[in-house]
Amino acid sequence: MKVEYLTGNYAIAEGAMTAGLKFYAGYPITPSSEIFEYLAKELPKVGGIVVQFEDEIASINAIIGASWAGVKAMTATSGPGFSLMLEGLSLAIMIETPLVIAYVMRTGPSTGIATKSGQYDVMQVRWGAHGNYEIVAYAPWSVQEAYDLTIKSFNVSELLRIPVILLSDATLVHLWERVVMKGPGEVVIVDRKKPKVPKDMYKPYEPDEDLVPPMACFGEGYRVLVESLTHDERGYYKTTNEVQRKLVWRLVNKVRKNKHLVVDSASYFVDDAEYVIVAYGTTARSVYALVKELRSKGVRIGLFRPKSLWPIDDDALVKACSKAKKVFVVENNVGVYVNEVCRFLKNKDVISIPVIDLDIPSPEDILNVMREWL
Amino acid sequence: MRYELLVVGRGGQGVLLLGRILGLAAAKYCNLYVTSCESYAAETRGGDSRVDLILASSEDELDYIKVRGADIALFLHPNSLAKFSNLLKDRSKVFIDSSFPIQSLGIRNVELIKAPYTKLAEKELKNVRVANMVALGHLVGTLKILTQESIERAIDDLVSTEWRDLNKKAFKLGVRITNDEH
Repeated sequence: MKVEYLTGNYAIAEGAMTAGLKFYAGYPITPSSEIFEYLAKELPKVGGIVVQFEDEIASINAIIGASWAGVKAMTATSGPGFSLMLEGLSLAIMIETPLVIAYVMRTGPSTGIATKSGQYDVMQVRWGAHGNYEIVAYAPWSVQEAYDLTIKSFNVSELLRIPVILLSDATLVHLWERVVMKGPGEVVIVDRKKPKVPKDMYKPYEPDEDLVPPMACFGEGYRVLVESLTHDERGYYKTTNEVQRKLVWRLVNKVRKNKHLVVDSASYFVDDAEYVIVAYGTTARSVYALVKELRSKGVRIGLFRPKSLWPIDDDALVKACSKAKKVFVVENNVGVYVNEVCRFLKNKDVISIPVIDLDIPSPEDILNVMREWL
Repeated sequence: MRYELLVVGRGGQGVLLLGRILGLAAAKYCNLYVTSCESYAAETRGGDSRVDLILASSEDELDYIKVRGADIALFLHPNSLAKFSNLLKDRSKVFIDSSFPIQSLGIRNVELIKAPYTKLAEKELKNVRVANMVALGHLVGTLKILTQESIERAIDDLVSTEWRDLNKKAFKLGVRITNDEH
């Protein structure tokens, strides 16, 4: 264990190295560039490679290739870059490639205010790529959590052979905080499972009971087919309903059925809460301050904070809101994630509290919008 | 224990370095929880540089990342006093570089602590660029939240070898202001 004083960007880079990152490809973009810069200096010291490509399209395809070559790989970007990566993201989902994308949100649409913060892209992360799939995305609220959830992102990506998104924002990645970093043996590190069958028996997309196929990589002696078209368990292109249904449902269900290994959340003061606020990422920091202040004035209010935005920890959400008369969803955008919360709280009064702020909504601004319902 | 600390100056005065040294010393060498956000201006273009720093003895005490009522504030240039007076509160300890003419603060009940950091740096160390470290010394010496040793270790971590001794000298000069006051 080692205590350091880091920004969110540096903590993400350090978390990736703790998780075993060996290949980073990227194209610099504010506010994520320090991840790239830091890794360019530090990753070669632990035997890794950092490459700047001509754009984000090349970058995501490079990390897909690196992952298939057998190493843990990541990229980092922001909104405009992630838009370019979406085709590659869909490919990574289809060919079941473990990788991590550190997505640092800034304002939009388009180039917005490149240096300023927001939470506009939580739905893009969920639905941006084409095809049907489940995505996994984590939203840290502190620099320590940026470090911890980066490790978790790598672990889940390796466990389920999926791309995982670490979704932060400009405010968090430039925040300086104390971080406890873990040494070897102090944190669980997951590596993708390897085939146990003889080499001539291996089928690259034949799942185990957990719906995840063991992953043989290039150069290990197995026959490896990487097929973006609809494929059977051998990796051969097939155009039947049967194969399409089987593949798409397995890709979706390997996340759904392993949800307990993925979801993460935290609840504060919810046991007797008449009001519960749902908030994620940096906005939850302001909400936490507000909740503590209202509690000190006798208001029975609590906070539910999804750490995994996709999928949400729905059991914990329902439990946290079980006594609530009203549920507020506070976001630094026009109010988008509220719909996901509503899905699980059908009989509750769920109220969207959108507060756009270029840094982070203040507790006062949030209270001003909420006041009429309290 | 929880303190909100606001440091404000103009671009080029070393506000960010001062904030980093404070934060690093607190987090790494004093076992405190720290959250700090920065906004900065360019020396050539003018404008305010600002560091909001929150120090706490437990993680649970950290929430909103910005200063709302500063327990402690340091103004390396008094030009911005009026602009930030809404972030001060009753009994805030307000350190000001008195090398420059000080306008009216427009707020009562704060504890004003004045010393000529820039003039001291110029006179004693022949370099105004370390006025920030003189101010840091005065702040740390007066408040006694962080140890002097922790600050010197943070300077070792953050300042290049070429400038390390000068920055430490300036810091110690600032600590002596406190001692001379008593």
